[in-house]
Amino acid sequence: MTEVVQSGVSQARSDNVRKPLPDFIPAAGLMIAALLVWELGVRLFNVPEFVVPAPSAVFRSLIESRYHLMVAAKVTAIEVLVGFILSAVVGIAVALVISRFERFGRALYPLIVLFQNVPKVALAPIFILWFGYDMAPKLLLIVVIAFFPVTIDMLAGLQSVEPSFVSLMKSVGANKNKIMLRVRIPHALPHLFAGLKVAITFSVIGAIVGEFAGANAGLGYVIQFASTQLDTPLVFSALLVISVLGLAFYYVVELAERFLVPWAPKYDTRQRSH
Amino acid sequence: MMLAETVAPAPSVASLPETAEAQIIGRHIAVDFTHAGRRQRVLQSVNISIPRGSFVSLIGPSGCGKSTLLKVLAGLVPPSEGSVTVDGIAPEEAAKKRVIGLVFQEATLLPWKNALENAAFLLMTADESIAKSEAFGRAEAMLKLVGLRDAEKKMPSQLSGGMRQRVAIARALALDPQVLLMDEPFGALDAITREEMSECLLDIWERTGKTIVLVTHSIDEAVLLSDEVHVMGTGPARIIETLPITVARPRGEESYSEPAFKAAEKRLRGLLIESHRRTS
Repeated sequence: MTEVVQSGVSQARSDNVRKPLPDFIPAAGLMIAALLVWELGVRLFNVPEFVVPAPSAVFRSLIESRYHLMVAAKVTAIEVLVGFILSAVVGIAVALVISRFERFGRALYPLIVLFQNVPKVALAPIFILWFGYDMAPKLLLIVVIAFFPVTIDMLAGLQSVEPSFVSLMKSVGANKNKIMLRVRIPHALPHLFAGLKVAITFSVIGAIVGEFAGANAGLGYVIQFASTQLDTPLVFSALLVISVLGLAFYYVVELAERFLVPWAPKYDTRQRSH
Repeated sequence: MMLAETVAPAPSVASLPETAEAQIIGRHIAVDFTHAGRRQRVLQSVNISIPRGSFVSLIGPSGCGKSTLLKVLAGLVPPSEGSVTVDGIAPEEAAKKRVIGLVFQEATLLPWKNALENAAFLLMTADESIAKSEAFGRAEAMLKLVGLRDAEKKMPSQLSGGMRQRVAIARALALDPQVLLMDEPFGALDAITREEMSECLLDIWERTGKTIVLVTHSIDEAVLLSDEVHVMGTGPARIIETLPITVARPRGEESYSEPAFKAAEKRLRGLLIESHRRTS
């Protein structure tokens, strides 16, 4: 009798143990459900299209304006890319200067932190005033917004070397430059990439804000123009393109990390609960 | 008490065995650290003489300055008073000439280099002109010496704590130093691994004949390995007694049951308990 019960239990257990789904399936399922609710809600309550367009209307607008959106996306993508690269260069350089020249760093660091409290979005009109409607003010805005996380993470990385290892290097006669080059900088790479991932998303924000403030091309410009025309479906489709663009850029950075820093700790959502 | 402290060092200097045997000599070493604007004496008038080729341990409760003393001997911390010589020269010069090898509690391997590259790294930093093949050859030999024959290509993340510490020892040995200074090298390891590492270290010492100075808080470890144990105490931090260990060599697992081992262990325990009681 007990045997039968036990085997029954183990049977039920083995049924419960299912193969884990691929990562994207639960997320995709949730998204489809949300879109369905959205579509149904809009139709059920007769929400006007210029207030909240249904997903189907957004999709229609996306197809209709595809050429227009692609041209705009190209402009924004170039701004994001160049701005991001500049942010990375500036961010890394500032971190290296602060770390290598300690006294100057002690003077510079508080100023940089102070500058972070300036609402940088509010600088956009000033940059437009200075540099006009071209790419320059957008790039400057991106750098101002996105270099900070790079600097902070790079600094943390440069300081993440065990003091005893620095002692070891010093004891065999290695000078500060050598320690920086061979130990501190490679140690900083995993931290740097954490900063770069934040910087790439900030770069997208910087580009769009820059275009809001004054532009004649780009996805930010499309959003602003479409909203004055009450073409809300176009606003939403431009938003969609921006999101896809941002996601693509983010994954390029993540891919670069996997390739360049294979020893970096992996952030696996499945293991986080342990 | 205070008077006795200040007077005591003078005669012991005279009795230092100033023969050619002594490789590391420290006279009147005192170290002050400035913490939050206050100068604090962390080491008080230490005289120490370490014979060439000997195995010496520094043991004591935490805060007794044993790690600081080791750092002074390594040239990493300049003494506020007194002097240190290693092979007749200042320790920081000796370190640059690769006379001194260092091992710390954390293995601190570079995560982007495999075991072999890690073992060769310090040698290649110390000697820019060394051929890569020569450095790797020496690192390989040292990895074999520490019992890591098949782990050369493994990354640090694939190694256990004990194996990582073996690589750290190989990295120090690759410099071919005369003196190996070790600061609680097995402090972060579990008991069994620790015992294995003690035996590994004993084997290395017997094979290479290097002078080894080991900072430890394990009485067993100190007795099993050392020719001489310096017991350190606090308030102020100093050497309170130097105990020669007469357990017959070669030593091994059977040494634990020798009467000389038990006697030394008992004596050390007594000294440590006494110094601990005085601080608390």
